[in-house]
Formats: sequence, structure tokens, C-alpha cells
Amino acid sequence: MNDQNIIEISKVEKRFGTFTAVSDFSLDLKEGEFFSLLGPSGCGKTTALRMIAGFQDHDAGTICIGGQEMADIPANKRPTNMVFQSYAIFPHLNVGDNVAFGLRKLGLSRAEIKTRVADALDMVELGGLQSRKADELSGGQRQRVALARALVMRPKVLLLDEPLSALDKNLRETMQLEMRRLQQRLGITFVMVTHDQYEAMTMSDRIGVMFAGKLEQVDKPEVIYARPCNRQVASFIGGMNFLNARMTGDGGGRMDVDVQGFGALTIDVNPNVRIHGTDLLVGIRPEQLEIGADRPEGYDGYLQGTVSDVAFYGESVHYYVQAPGTDDPIAVAVPNYFHTVDHKRGDTVWLGVQNASIIDLGARESQK
Amino acid sequence: MAGFLKTEAGKGLALSAPASLYVGLLVAGPLGILVAYSFWTQTYVDIDKTLTWANYIEAASDPLVRHLMLRSIAIAGAVTLATVALAYPIAYFIAFRTQKKTLWLLLITIPFWSSYLLRVFSWKLILGFNGVMNSALLTTGVIDEPLTFLLYNEFAVVLTLAHAWAPFAILPIYVSLQKVDRALLEAATDLGCSKLERFLRVTLPLTIPGIIAASLIIFIPTVGDYVTPSLVGGSQGKMIANLIQVQFGPANNWPLGATLSLVAMASVGFVAILFVVTTTALGRRIR
Repeated sequence: MNDQNIIEISKVEKRFGTFTAVSDFSLDLKEGEFFSLLGPSGCGKTTALRMIAGFQDHDAGTICIGGQEMADIPANKRPTNMVFQSYAIFPHLNVGDNVAFGLRKLGLSRAEIKTRVADALDMVELGGLQSRKADELSGGQRQRVALARALVMRPKVLLLDEPLSALDKNLRETMQLEMRRLQQRLGITFVMVTHDQYEAMTMSDRIGVMFAGKLEQVDKPEVIYARPCNRQVASFIGGMNFLNARMTGDGGGRMDVDVQGFGALTIDVNPNVRIHGTDLLVGIRPEQLEIGADRPEGYDGYLQGTVSDVAFYGESVHYYVQAPGTDDPIAVAVPNYFHTVDHKRGDTVWLGVQNASIIDLGARESQK
Repeated sequence: MAGFLKTEAGKGLALSAPASLYVGLLVAGPLGILVAYSFWTQTYVDIDKTLTWANYIEAASDPLVRHLMLRSIAIAGAVTLATVALAYPIAYFIAFRTQKKTLWLLLITIPFWSSYLLRVFSWKLILGFNGVMNSALLTTGVIDEPLTFLLYNEFAVVLTLAHAWAPFAILPIYVSLQKVDRALLEAATDLGCSKLERFLRVTLPLTIPGIIAASLIIFIPTVGDYVTPSLVGGSQGKMIANLIQVQFGPANNWPLGATLSLVAMASVGFVAILFVVTTTALGRRIR
């Protein structure tokens, strides 16, 4: 990755009739970056990707790739290539001819095409499968062919539309790592659309979280997880307990707050929040809460409640604790270190929390 | 018996039994009789049932048979080519360029609502000496005397049949176009193809099965068509079926008629297989 911007998107808007699919979309991507557009279905992420590819024109704003404005450049002339959700493997061609499809346009010699196809197939671990027919491929192999077919064109930007959603869980996890490794080796900018938060977090350098056509937050995965800009983003990525809070004093990037159930605490002001206020919403990640039958030592805030539900996830156990002064039960995730489930429904338990675990999510009335 | 009907094979047989029976009795039976006749000889009042190759030898050595057979295949080929070439753009339009697919498909079947004979006869009225076409051209002063090359020749046969067969070509081609995954077209564009290249390299090869189906549906019955050449073909438009009709009718030589029918069938089969094999092979070469 270097500091050169490969894609510069400024204030792009797309309407379908009266429906605004994408609005005020601005984004700069660095060369060699792995970027994910994450959001629920219908949030406009695929439309945004298709505008970059040129399959969809935009109504306002500019899209520049490699410093060149794309408005008048049709999809077939853009320095991008795409891996389609359905993979779009040409059924009348074998694997080799699928991968060679775009190369045949470039006026290369037969030998050159052959070498580049072989290299591309080796890269996705399908070496030697040139003459395999399209309908003889497994889901994972189709995905690899689609990847090879796009990468063999040596695009400046590779666009991926939900590339792993059709694969089963184990294969998906293998491919996530493999694609990430491939991307780092080739240094090509990847832009991936996904609705899978884990996929986005494990693969990306940065994530853009989209809701209702708007890019809500763009940042590194760990920053989005630790400092989401509002309730929507916080609830889309990872589990989160939301609590009301009231600011009682602030200064020096910190503020004193009275958190529902936990009482007086001092927390960091979240720089990503756009609308601050006195009536706040704060979040606590389930895995950052301590739970015990006795009051745990060394925490900044405490709460006593009753276990209302227990869910066993294998690697962790989730307890839901109903406490006086809070609305919803508070979720607590405990790593399953000792193969024990320590609390059961109806038990009275203590929860402990550190100041640093409380995430400021901004003014309560601004939350959707 | 009841047990057998519950097995997969039993169900299959039971379901296909009516059709099999029908085909067996009404197609295979008459065909057998036709084959038998082709090895017999017509005497003045009777049929000589001694088996002989004489009819086949006569069919092979008669230049008229060869001429009519070749002309039939040429006309059928021209009809097939014209119909498929005209039908493809229409099918393409319905599959890719309109939302009102059902309406268009319905409109295309409208010619079927009137009798086939009536439609052939209408062409006669349009193309004839005092027909619609000539009257219009005369009235507008484009020509001074009626055109005579419009009717009673191969051209009229091709024109009439291409019109009559159009829906038979449009439907299979439409179905094959409809099946083309739109993502494949975007993938082709993404890999650098212009719209024309995309059509030639993706859409066309993927619709070859539809083209083959349409061609066979048109070509096979056209070779043996007898009504259209009789009505609009004139003497230069006569085809093999007209000769066969003569054998069974005025000439009263059923054995020769049977032989000609079988020779025509074999020729059509040969040409059709050749067509399927070459078209499929050509399609495989597109990459």
C-alpha cells in the first residue's frame, strides 16, 4: 500500500426514479488497499460498486480512477475488473478459455496468452485445469476461475461483489485468507462488497459501513469496532449493549457520565461521533464485561442483576442479565476457558466494567 | 401389475404408453407399409409384390428426381436461413429490450389464428399480376406494367414460407436468449468487449441450441411441403413433394411414390445431421 490515491469518489449520487440508492458518497482509496463496503442488503453498496465498474451511471458527483475522470468511459474501457456474485463463468467455454476471454482482446500472441492463463490459474491454485469444462467445476473452483479471469487482466482495481457468499462456511474462511494473501502479494486495490461483518473485518485494510445509501463510517476494522460513530454502525458490527447515559461534566477529551444501571463513570469522548449532546447513548461490548457471583474487584462501574438467559456458543458462553434501571437485558460473553457454565437462569450476579470499555455513541436523539 | 405401476420404470411406461401406442400405430405402421411398397412394382391394375430395387434405381437415375430433390433442399435452406435471420432480431428484442414479453409473444402467434391455406392464398393476392403489390406500385407510378417475377417462382415460395414459419423460429430462439444469464453479458463487457463482440462471443454461441432447433423445425417440414409450391410456386417452384403427389395421384404409381418419399426422408435426415454437426462444431470454435 502506498499513499497514492487510486480511486477518488466525490459526492456521488444515484437515483432510480424517486428512490435514492446512493447519496453524498465520497471516498478516496489508496493504491494497494483492500477496502470493503459493508452494509445490509439494499443499502446501496452494490450500486456503488457498479458505478465504479461503469455498469451503472451516476446522477451527480465524480468518480476518478488513476486520476482519470470516468464519466465518459464505458465499462469495457475502465481499468477495473469484476468478480461477480454468481461468478458469471461462461458456460460454453472451458476454464482456460474463460480466463483467456479478456486477453484475446489485447492483441497478444498465442504463446503470451497461454503463459498468462497458466500463471493466473497457478495463482489461484487451479494449475493444469485449462481444459476442464465450466459445468464440471465446484463452487470454490468457479470462484477461483472468476478471480483468475479478472486478475489476468492486471486491473488497477479489482471489484468483488459478495464474492464468497455462495460458498459454505469452511471454504469461505479458507478463501478469505487466500484472497487476502493474494491481494497483498499482487498489490492490486481490491474493493469488495459484503454484508458479512466478519468477512469485512478479517480481510480489509479499511471498511466503509453503508446504510440507506449513505457511507456512515470509513475506517480500519479495529477502529470501527472500538469507536463506531453511531448506534447503527455499532449494532451492525459485533454485539453491543446500548445504555442511556447523562453527561455531568467534560474536559480534555474525557467526560463524566451517569450511565443507566452502572452509575457515575468517566469515559473518553468518541472522536468519530458527529452529534454530541448531554443525553447520550453509550455502548458496551459483551466480551468486555466481567461477570461473577460475587462482586469482582478492580472495576470502575458495577451492576447487580439476575440471569435471564444463557446461550452456549462453544467458544464462549453468553449470559443475559436483567438489572433494575436498565431496559433490555445486558449481554455478557465469557470465553469458555474451563469448559464450565458458571451461572444459570435466575442466579443473582454482579457485572463489572472499566471506564475504557464504555463507548460514547453521541447524542441519543440523533440515533436511528 | 399394480406393484409394477408403482415403480419408476412402471410409471414412465404408463405415462408414455398412450403416445407410444399412437406413434406405433399411426407412424411406424404406415412407414412400414411405405417401405414395403417401395420394393414392389406397379403393374397396370395391380401391385406386383416381388421384392425389387427397381424403384430405387429409377429414383437414382432420373435427373428430374435429383433436380427436384436438390431444389427442395435449396429452397428449404433458403427459407430456413431467411426465417432464422428475420426471427433472431425479433426474439432478441422480446428477450432483452421489452418488458411486455407476453404481449409480444401473443402478437407473434396471431397469424396462427387464421388457416395456413388462407395465409398462403393471401400471399398470392399480394404478389399476383393484379395483386396488392403491383397495384400499389402502378398507382404510385413506380412501375409502368405489372411485375411478373413476384409470383410463381422460388422467390414466392421462400417469401410465403418464411412468413408462415416465423413464429416457429422466434419461439425457440427466444427461449434460448431468455436463458442467457445477464451477468455473463456484464462479465464480457467487464473483460473489454464492445456490444457487438459481446454478442458474437457470448450471446450467439449460447443461443446455438435455439438456432438449431428453429432451423430443424423449419427445414424438415419445408423440404416436404406441397401446398405452398402448388399455390405460389408455378413450374419453377415445384418441389419433390409435388412429384410424390403426382405418383400417388395422376400417375398412379404408388411404389415409385413410396420410394421417392423414403429417398426424400433420407436426404432430409442427412442434411439435417450435417447441419447440426457443423453448426455445433462452428459454435465450439468461438472463444
